[in-house]
Amino acid sequence: MIALTSPYLWYTTRATGFVALILFTLVASLGTFVANRIGGTYIGRFELNELHRSVSIIAIMFLVIHITTTVIDSFVSTGWTSALVPMTSAYKRLPVTLGTVAFDLILAVWISSLLKARIANGTWRFIHWFSWLALATAVVHGILVGTDSRRSFGLVIVVVCSLVVVASAFWRYLGRPTRAAGRTALSPLAPIDRATRPPRASGNDPATTPRRGVRPSSPTTPPDDARRGRR
Amino acid sequence: MGVRRKVGGFVLKVNPILCDGFGHCHELAPELVKIDEWGYPIILGTPTPLADGAALESARYAVRGCPRQALTIARVDEQS
Repeated sequence: MIALTSPYLWYTTRATGFVALILFTLVASLGTFVANRIGGTYIGRFELNELHRSVSIIAIMFLVIHITTTVIDSFVSTGWTSALVPMTSAYKRLPVTLGTVAFDLILAVWISSLLKARIANGTWRFIHWFSWLALATAVVHGILVGTDSRRSFGLVIVVVCSLVVVASAFWRYLGRPTRAAGRTALSPLAPIDRATRPPRASGNDPATTPRRGVRPSSPTTPPDDARRGRR
Repeated sequence: MGVRRKVGGFVLKVNPILCDGFGHCHELAPELVKIDEWGYPIILGTPTPLADGAALESARYAVRGCPRQALTIARVDEQS
């Protein structure tokens, strides 16, 4: 009970809020990288995907700490229900509700991703769109209720994260490939550089497929092949 | 003597309706999946023996890593 009145819970709430904001910003931009098919040359597309997944788990952990310390701290009276149910907090009802909504949306996105193998892919994607709404809500929540978010360094973090999220959203909207847009350049057939492309493996023998990470080194492609283009 | 386990083989199956050509499967299982001109997978047609643990593992990674859940591992029995 002594711990519940110590200021460190409140400090933890404030700090983890910022960390969660930064991490979720990172998660959103990594997700945009995956959706816009970035990678394939120096970093694999699957590596960006794995980063997106891993960082999201870390971000959720920080979010859980943020919420737990807020609830058990006696400095503000929020209550356990306000972690999940909107408009139940006694303390700053509307701004806390925005955080609650963001957490609910993030929970929906997370649970749907855990069930990804069991639900239709379209359902998962539909739910995943709500992560943008969650981020927007969370940023507004942070600006309204954050102790440090309107001053000096905190303001800088909030502004930078907001800009990154908005830029990612625009990029996602403008550069949205719904169908295959360029193959992964880790592929042996990828147009990394026409001139330095290694000779095409004949047939479908996987043994002759260059392994991932093997960069084409010698310009051995016959010139007539390059002129004809592929097939 | 001894019961031979892990008989038979497997092939990766792609659902062409779901596939959007992200190419993750090729990066994760290059020995099983090649990629065509437009980024769609060309999957090795001949069954890989289940005893090939490394291939099975990368096939599982490919299934898990597909952003569209378009891949499945189909078992092929060794009776011809």
